[in-house]
Amino acid sequence: MKLTLEARAGSLQPYLLLVPALSILIGFLLFPLMWNIYISMHNVSLTTILGEWKYVGFKNFSNLLRDPDFHMSLQVSLLFVGGSVALQFFVGMVLAVVLNQQIWGSNAFRALFIIPWTVSAVITGFSFKFIFSDSFGVLNYGLEQMGLNPVAWLSDPGVVVWTLVIANMWHGAPFTVIFLTAGLFSINPVVYEAARIDGATKIKSFFYITLPLLKPFIIINLILITMWSVNFFDLILVMTNGGPLFASTTSSLYMYRQAFEFGLLSKGAAAGFLLIGMNLVLAYSYIRLFRRQERTVEIRQM
Amino acid sequence: MIPIEKTLIYSVIAVYLFITLAPLIWVLSTSFKPNQEAISFPPKLLPDAPTLDNYLFVLTDPKLVTSLFNSLLVSIGGTGLSVAVSALGGYAFARFEFKGKNLLMSTILGLFMIPVVINIIPLYIMLANVGLLNSLLALVLTFQILIIPLNIFLLKNYFETIPKELEEAALIDGCSKLRALWHIIVPMSMPGFLIAGILSFRFSWNEFVLPIVLSNKPDVMVFQVALYQFISLYRIDWGYLTAGITIALIPVVVLMLISQKRMIRGLTLGAVRG
Repeated sequence: MKLTLEARAGSLQPYLLLVPALSILIGFLLFPLMWNIYISMHNVSLTTILGEWKYVGFKNFSNLLRDPDFHMSLQVSLLFVGGSVALQFFVGMVLAVVLNQQIWGSNAFRALFIIPWTVSAVITGFSFKFIFSDSFGVLNYGLEQMGLNPVAWLSDPGVVVWTLVIANMWHGAPFTVIFLTAGLFSINPVVYEAARIDGATKIKSFFYITLPLLKPFIIINLILITMWSVNFFDLILVMTNGGPLFASTTSSLYMYRQAFEFGLLSKGAAAGFLLIGMNLVLAYSYIRLFRRQERTVEIRQM
Repeated sequence: MIPIEKTLIYSVIAVYLFITLAPLIWVLSTSFKPNQEAISFPPKLLPDAPTLDNYLFVLTDPKLVTSLFNSLLVSIGGTGLSVAVSALGGYAFARFEFKGKNLLMSTILGLFMIPVVINIIPLYIMLANVGLLNSLLALVLTFQILIIPLNIFLLKNYFETIPKELEEAALIDGCSKLRALWHIIVPMSMPGFLIAGILSFRFSWNEFVLPIVLSNKPDVMVFQVALYQFISLYRIDWGYLTAGITIALIPVVVLMLISQKRMIRGLTLGAVRG
């Protein structure tokens, strides 16, 4: 009789244990993902869900690609995602490093810094909508008090995307802080000691020891926060509803509105499909970028 | 550490602490101002006429109260389901070797990265077809896709820290595997379950995208959606809204604060082990 826990080869037990989790994931995650393609190739709207669907091939995609609002949403997404990722990563990295130093209260500070990430997008959106308000927002009041000009944070089409980027940073930077902190924890302090003995300054050891060792964490972090920014639309819906006049409509918000405000489910599905494509391309680009950097370093060391 | 370093570090922390907390403090202060004062200019930190009316409104309006209960039901139900299901899965990964194990684990982690927003259209059509639109059950089930992958990963790591010898000793004493699981592993894994539970609750409580698409009839609305639809669709009463926001904040912030040390340890457990 086998007394150890290792299952005999071919035992069904592990698979059985995984059935509940996998069936939920397959049913509600994988299957809808695949079905999206089917939906985007037919003509479905909110009113015709239960009726018959007409096959239309790639018409939804061509409509989409010819829609100037969609082009605009791509531009807006570019700015929003680029700004969000840069800001979140920079702030997150700085805070992670700062909190990792030998200082009193780092755990308490870390706990407080996490709070923005624990609140919902809706809470974040409304809070900043209130603070950034052109007419009664406390931020403009503060600016005036300091002798600066107030800014039309939410109604100036040129500024509104950056307002959203700031709100997104407030909400999302803590994740980077935690993730990179985990990475910093995994670095053996002995390495720094050795570097110090060899005469390295703190700044030098950050760039030549910390950063390279953090690389796997940085890659995964960048992939995650990029994808989350591409797909984040509840914050924008709450803060600006895509306005003024589509100036802050990202591709994800565009998709939501096409599907549920205009009722064009299949056009939304086509947009969703392109959104998936964007995610994959971005993830792949990150991985390729870092792979290429590694190879350059290796060649230089030869 | 030289003094100038310390000053620099503490300044950075102070600045960001302000950035982090100021918005919330401002919201809190506004929640005690009557609606008119909330939008008056110049804004003041301390209310001229502090009032609890806003909270009274949120806690007695039937639609809002229903939505609060719905959020609680869905969050608790979703947490229970997710932790149970993920515990089984995590156990399978932690204690068994089987074909396709690594591939499956990577796939599950990859699934975590799939954004919810992409699936809302197919899910909407799917649920419309089986008549589950506007039901709390649908919410409980669909929220799982957000939390199962993370929980399986967390619990797998957690189970791996429990020495196998304990279960093996029980088996030698004639215990069946299932009883070993129940009587030994479960009590020892309570901290892990706690973390997984808190994360699940948080994701469920905060979720907005799925509910606004799948259940926006008043009797099945969740609190996050109710805040959006009832208080703010036409003209925003900022006193009411900030009170609602504060109420929505409290559970998750409290939970996170009391568990944050364990949380960080739980999330970094995987990292340190490499």
